[in-house]
Amino acid sequence: MTEPLAIWIGAIVTLAVFSYLARDNLFYRLVQQAALGVTVGIMIVVTWQQVLYPMWLTPIAKAFQGTADWKGAFWLLALAPGSLWYFQLSKRWFWVSTLVSGLFVGVAAGLAFKNQILLIMPQIGASLKPLNPLAGPEGLTYDSAGASLSNLIFLVALLTALLYFFFSIRTDSRVLNPAMRTGRLMIMVALGAMFGNTVMTRMAYLIERLQFLYETWLKPILTFHGS
Amino acid sequence: MVQWLARLHELNPRWLYLATGLLMIVPFVILIPMPAGTPSRATQGLYDAIESCPPDKVVWIDSSWDQGSRAENEAQLGCVVRHLCRRHVRFVVTSVGITPFGPEFAERTIRPIAEEAGYVYGRDWVNTGFVQAPTSTSLALVINGLARDFHSIRPADVHGTPIGDLALMQKVRTIRDIHLIYAITYSPAQEWISFIKGQFGTPVAFGCMSIMAPSYYAFLDSGQLCGVLVGNRGAAQYEALIGRPSLGTRLSMAQSFGNAAIILAALVGNLGLWAARRARSKAP
Repeated sequence: MTEPLAIWIGAIVTLAVFSYLARDNLFYRLVQQAALGVTVGIMIVVTWQQVLYPMWLTPIAKAFQGTADWKGAFWLLALAPGSLWYFQLSKRWFWVSTLVSGLFVGVAAGLAFKNQILLIMPQIGASLKPLNPLAGPEGLTYDSAGASLSNLIFLVALLTALLYFFFSIRTDSRVLNPAMRTGRLMIMVALGAMFGNTVMTRMAYLIERLQFLYETWLKPILTFHGS
Repeated sequence: MVQWLARLHELNPRWLYLATGLLMIVPFVILIPMPAGTPSRATQGLYDAIESCPPDKVVWIDSSWDQGSRAENEAQLGCVVRHLCRRHVRFVVTSVGITPFGPEFAERTIRPIAEEAGYVYGRDWVNTGFVQAPTSTSLALVINGLARDFHSIRPADVHGTPIGDLALMQKVRTIRDIHLIYAITYSPAQEWISFIKGQFGTPVAFGCMSIMAPSYYAFLDSGQLCGVLVGNRGAAQYEALIGRPSLGTRLSMAQSFGNAAIILAALVGNLGLWAARRARSKAP
């Protein structure tokens, strides 16, 4: 009984959201607000059920009961830095919260630095691509010529796009201006590709809902009445 | 004729929405065989990585998607799990950071495929559940922690069973036991590339929404990612590679119809605009 009810609720909510295409209406806004409320409520429950209860409270409780490793009791110490965050609510004692936020900023900065080094350095190495089609073991072939051409386009796009972001040089130079315009053109091509993908994703959302409405909700009803 | 065409320019866009919607339902009503096309390098890379998995290693799937990105992520998970089952590769599923509903959606997609293939939960695959990591800092710490000692970050699986009691997890402790990481979500975090591929050298592949694909191609080109499944098109190509057309193929067909509708609408709209301008210029 639960599943058909869930399907009907899903279908009604989907149609309510689609009704916005005709015009903004109360039904649509009601569903939107309900979705926001439900999401926040579920997040609170899930945080307790899947994180705080099993990963924090349970080890402490078991440590005190003697049914698990006594080291689990150390999780109690997490209360001290955790509670410091709440001092942000007081103007007078705000500085106390900076003790823990400073710690977090330090950790975040360290990890971000490591992240960027590990992410960007291989990118710089990979930017050095062979341009000579004769350099391969088989000499000049269709594949090597195609690869060289592709690498040349990559190099031009890379250099001109980087040049476009030099804002401290004169842009009316006869040499630099065409290169910067090429860079802008390359960026426009990339943005065009991104926009094409954006359309694809939005369409995928619509298709998934249409599939649900037709196959999960409408088709069983039609089949039932047909038989 | 020009007058009639000019009226197209003033067509209410709602008719266009309706026509596009109806056109996209067609592949669900009538089965139309359409080729998935040649697999891209991004799709082939993931397929090859799974094909080369040795028997003593497992694949780590991070399935961090829910209803919000189900439209493309569901097919991307299904086709890869089907391939893993066919090759008898065991796998561990996590849902790191993004959505607490990740484990449930993963379970719903994986369980029927795994059971059909004769996979036994705990022996051949495990769903370790949700790990909260709301910021990129905590995500980096969790990824690092899982890679160094899986059991310390996830002491129990999604059903509450102690992870050490599961036969598969007794063999999976650190990143050394993992052959490949496949992260599926709306936009997989770059921390997977830096903290897994960068630190440990373990291959990483992504399944992402089409909208995010351009930002990952650079990592594919540099070898930091071994493969990327891009939207339903990627899933359809993968299904063609494993010879089992499924959800990705069907959704991809509907998408082709939608694309055709948009191209047609753009042509008709521009024709209408041209006709309207022509009619205006000829008016006395």
